[in-house]
Amino acid sequence: MVLRRVVPHALLLAYVAVVLFPFVFVLFSSLKGSNVEIAADPFGIPKTWHLENYAEAWVKAKIGVYFFNSVYLSFTSALAAALLSAATAFAIVRMRFPRAGRWIYQTVLIGMFIPGNVLFIAQYLLVMNLGVLNTHWALFLPYTAGALPLGVLLLTAFMKSLPGELEEAAIMDGLSSAGLFAKIVLPLTLPALVTVFIVNFLGAWNEYLLANFFISKDALRTLPTGMVGFRDAFQTNYALICTGIVYSVAPVLVLYAFLQKQIIEGMTVGSVKG
Amino acid sequence: MKHPMRNPWIYTLFTVPTLILYGMFFLWPMLSSAYYAFTDWNGLENYRFVGWSNFAAAFGDPDFRRAIVNNLIFIGFSVFVQIPLIVLCALLIASVKRLRGFYKTTVFVPSIVSTSVIGILWGFIYEPEVGPLNRLLALFGAGPVYWLAEPEGALPAVLITNAWQWMGFYIVLVLAAILAIPRELHEAAVVDGANGWQRALQITVPLIRPLISVVVMLSIAGGMRVVDIVLVMTKGGPVGATEVMASYMVNEAMGINPNYGFGTAIALIIFAFALLLTSLYQLTFGRRMEGGQF
Repeated sequence: MVLRRVVPHALLLAYVAVVLFPFVFVLFSSLKGSNVEIAADPFGIPKTWHLENYAEAWVKAKIGVYFFNSVYLSFTSALAAALLSAATAFAIVRMRFPRAGRWIYQTVLIGMFIPGNVLFIAQYLLVMNLGVLNTHWALFLPYTAGALPLGVLLLTAFMKSLPGELEEAAIMDGLSSAGLFAKIVLPLTLPALVTVFIVNFLGAWNEYLLANFFISKDALRTLPTGMVGFRDAFQTNYALICTGIVYSVAPVLVLYAFLQKQIIEGMTVGSVKG
Repeated sequence: MKHPMRNPWIYTLFTVPTLILYGMFFLWPMLSSAYYAFTDWNGLENYRFVGWSNFAAAFGDPDFRRAIVNNLIFIGFSVFVQIPLIVLCALLIASVKRLRGFYKTTVFVPSIVSTSVIGILWGFIYEPEVGPLNRLLALFGAGPVYWLAEPEGALPAVLITNAWQWMGFYIVLVLAAILAIPRELHEAAVVDGANGWQRALQITVPLIRPLISVVVMLSIAGGMRVVDIVLVMTKGGPVGATEVMASYMVNEAMGINPNYGFGTAIALIIFAFALLLTSLYQLTFGRRMEGGQF
């Protein structure tokens, strides 16, 4: 009987070890002095902590720049997509244009069935023709647009579940439809909005393909592409590369520590609905 | 007085920005892909229509055929190796009370980290001289294996990295479905004398079939979409060993001699494959599993 209790935990802890090992390894390596030290004892705790790696990577890798670019691009595009989806969902669900609403909903949902990389080259040409290649617009616009189908899907479902009486009461009080949206529906939709925002934010934060080909100026790069450039430039300095990895992973892990419920819910709900 | 919810100006204001962005970045690219795919446009002004020759050229290229096979290997690996492990892990997590939250939170972590960082991180683990994997093998007197530099080693290395990144996500998905099963069903089975394994295989797994079906669909879609991890870890090399359709497309279309006509033709092929595989699955195995809560 003891065995029956222990075996599941043993197997699960082994899996957890496989999941966590790369992170721990990178953290330890980032504090080691040289490749020799990493190679001699790849699994060990560093003997002396070489914290200067962190200062060096921050300056040499321009991680501060990439970091800022990633934060503000992810934040603005996630926010824009969440608000646009909310407005559209409100119009579809609450406003009295049923035929147009159905039509818009169906059209936007088609987007859920198109794999992202299928649109990649055509989007590149579009961004080039718009003249915004190599500016942050080249990422802001497709990130925002790319998040719309899921946002509209989730927020329409959520707004359908809000009671209709609220609307009647608010209109009696003389609110316009825009006022109703801003003052009543938006605050009530906040939980779903947070979920949509988080999914959008993580999507933009981690995006690599567009970021790699639509931006070639180093100062405009985001963390995923900046990190790859950093790795290619410092091929042989493993401690420094590991430091860069720690910098780019740590904020996501901190965010996860606080918002794990919303993050897990948002990511899994999104995928199943899609 | 007109009802405020019938105000066409507000309606326009609320829907048109979304429709414009969506039209620009989804519908227009789809249409223009369907147009350019039949041209030999390389980014300069003049181009001509070349009929189906881009498609013929793609399927005539052994590198592209290899990329198709590699996409199928990605799908096969996730369906036949990862999914059984995912279901097993989810069953194990559901079977314990203590530490359940810890397991769930921990296994999910890799799926929030960016693919490019994971590619860099694992590239380091596979590093031939100082990487921990080869150091571990050296303890048993094996190696060194040049994982990402040898055609035989590169594809398994990328497959395992990809599995490491996404398994936890699906475990959490399956776990939620398992935990949603009404407790009474299990209690009835216990009364009937079924042991843990019998209950798992005869009650839990059949009940979560609709969700497993969703996971299979997502794996097919994911296997068609895979590209970031390949570009970051191997760029499709060595000698095309890890090339997938999307990396082939990117390398052909965005290289030194860009060929957008050819690239968009590849994009349409990827799209057609994704539709074909998902509808094939739906028509054969998927339908039997439909009808659940998801």
